Amino acid sequence: MNVFSRGFKNAFRNATRSISIIIILGLAIGLSLVMVIARQAVSNKISSVNSSIGNTVTITPAGFSNFSSVNNALTTTQLTKIASLPHVISLTENLTDHLKTIGAAALPFGNSTNSNQTNLYSPVKLNFKKISKRHPGIFAAGGGFQIPANFSLPITIIGTNNPAQVNGNNLIISSGQLIQGSSNNNIALVSTAMASKNNLKIGSTFTAYNQPFTVTGIFTSNNTGLGNDIIVPLATEQRLSNQTGDVTKAIATIDSLTNLANTTNQIKNVLGSSADVVSSVQQAQNTIAPLNNIKTIALYSLIGSLVAAIIIIFLIMVMIVRERRREIGVLKAIGASNLRVSLQFICESITLTITGAIIGIIIGTAAANPITHLLVNNTTANNRPANGISRQFGGGGFKNIASGNGNFSLHQAKNGSFKGIRNSFNNIQAVVGWSVILDGIGAAIIIAVIGSTASSLLISKIRPAEVMRME
Amino acid sequence: MLKVKKLSKVYKSGGRDVQAIDNVNLELSEGRFVSIIGRSGSGKSTLLNLLGGLDKPTTGEIIVDGIDITNMSDHALISYRGQKIGFIFQSYNLVPNLSAVENVMLPMEFIGVPKSERYTRAINLLEQVGFTNEEIKRKPSRLSGGQQQRVAIARALANKPKLILADEPTGNLDSHTGKIIFELLKKLSKSQKTTIIVVTHDLEIAQKTDQTYNLKDGKLKK
Repeated sequence: MNVFSRGFKNAFRNATRSISIIIILGLAIGLSLVMVIARQAVSNKISSVNSSIGNTVTITPAGFSNFSSVNNALTTTQLTKIASLPHVISLTENLTDHLKTIGAAALPFGNSTNSNQTNLYSPVKLNFKKISKRHPGIFAAGGGFQIPANFSLPITIIGTNNPAQVNGNNLIISSGQLIQGSSNNNIALVSTAMASKNNLKIGSTFTAYNQPFTVTGIFTSNNTGLGNDIIVPLATEQRLSNQTGDVTKAIATIDSLTNLANTTNQIKNVLGSSADVVSSVQQAQNTIAPLNNIKTIALYSLIGSLVAAIIIIFLIMVMIVRERRREIGVLKAIGASNLRVSLQFICESITLTITGAIIGIIIGTAAANPITHLLVNNTTANNRPANGISRQFGGGGFKNIASGNGNFSLHQAKNGSFKGIRNSFNNIQAVVGWSVILDGIGAAIIIAVIGSTASSLLISKIRPAEVMRME
Repeated sequence: MLKVKKLSKVYKSGGRDVQAIDNVNLELSEGRFVSIIGRSGSGKSTLLNLLGGLDKPTTGEIIVDGIDITNMSDHALISYRGQKIGFIFQSYNLVPNLSAVENVMLPMEFIGVPKSERYTRAINLLEQVGFTNEEIKRKPSRLSGGQQQRVAIARALANKPKLILADEPTGNLDSHTGKIIFELLKKLSKSQKTTIIVVTHDLEIAQKTDQTYNLKDGKLKK
């Protein structure tokens, strides 16, 4: 038996105490690892978002985010000036409207006289139970507002001059073909979810604005936030909604990231207070701000749990050394050096922390994903726009949903391009790799060595003669 | 083998000097078995601590096997204790979670004896103090007081020390077991040619040693 095996054996000298210490250390190290894993997952997501930032500028009518009706839509005249600015290489223009499903009930508030209708049903299934829980003020309990049985979420119709990329999402056509953005025909792209809900195929027709539309393409709606949308040419939408020359959202693509800030300022100067102008960099930063908060929380929690682990082992080792003063005195009397005795106690401490780390790795592996999701969900929920209910309804304000008013869905129009990214936060995967396990073991050894410094100091101060005198 | 010249130790206690050891002179040859008697507080344990290199004298010299230990560094004293000194304590002071044989191997590990040799030598020593093959694997909690003291004696002999210092080795034992342990120490002093100094209260036992010294107020007399 040598100093290492003695240290190992001593770690389990008092089984009850050792198990308690190991469990406490396991929890502390487990929490540290969860925070490392969460931080890593969030950092990867931030890197991925940052690397995907395009050099675009999003232009929406002023006040677009407060869900009020838009009476000041962007005009073709304004946008022509933008398109002619230096460094602007293309300009995507969208006009968004909402269509009430024929025969579906309206909500009992707001303007319900809207005539813009469709025979399509929304594929979006609302969880009213969840919504009423979150918004008890609107869905009053005990005889308050009741959702009509035949309520269907209004369909969003987006007219665009660039159907290949809608609200920053590259459409993937799963069948059929893209529509021409410059067309003025009643043709449409529908999402796979919409097609499935309404039994639509290529060549099928549906009604909107009391006009027949032909489905020419079906796009994959995964993670695009466009599942409840139908895409039509811009001119068609302007004609049918009686908003000729109006645009509710424009995306300008700039020739390089270097010119993004300057061009954004130029666009702001051209449009003045009539529009909100946000560059993709600003949008990305706003979108990932909650993730940066999680990184900070994770870092502080990591430091806190590591310090807690160090303090635990520090106090435990001091207690153990004080308890075994006589034994240490005897070991020194019969020829053991301070270093050798300290080494034995460090081995004991390492045994406790490594065993704790193994428990911690198991805890960390099991808890990393749930805790990461909890952090992401809570933090992103706290950072959502004030009118959070609008998200439940796919972007539209509540009154506007009730009315089917053609000028709502402002939030979606403004945030659409980054909605997919924000939705993807829910898919953040906390991966437990070898590096994390090695980090855990490494942290355990560091905790043990730092935690043992006081005990080593105490050991060096124990004088065998004094211990012997206590006989 | 052991020469002590004009050894003194003064403690500070309550702001005043206490003369624990006062001008002690002693000379012992190899294989001698001597006892020191004295009242409680007479300085017996202090003298043993000084001889064992656990404490440093105020003045005087201690020469063990030709080496003056009084000016040794702490590090050198550890080596000195490991190689030249064997300690036997009144309350045995075995490491509780180590078996009898592991306790005996412990001092050998500290001076770098190879593992295989440590084990063989420890078995031999335990056999010499009357242990069976089964008993050598027992932990101290499963040994009687007499058996524990035998393990302590085997541990003290592990590194073939020149000097064994035994502080009340029979103090915690009944008189019969005490006599057996004492006889064992006497036998070993002759067979191992080790000088043994025993501090005891028991005059009957003390009289059976080669020489008995009386320590009174820090002064040592024959």
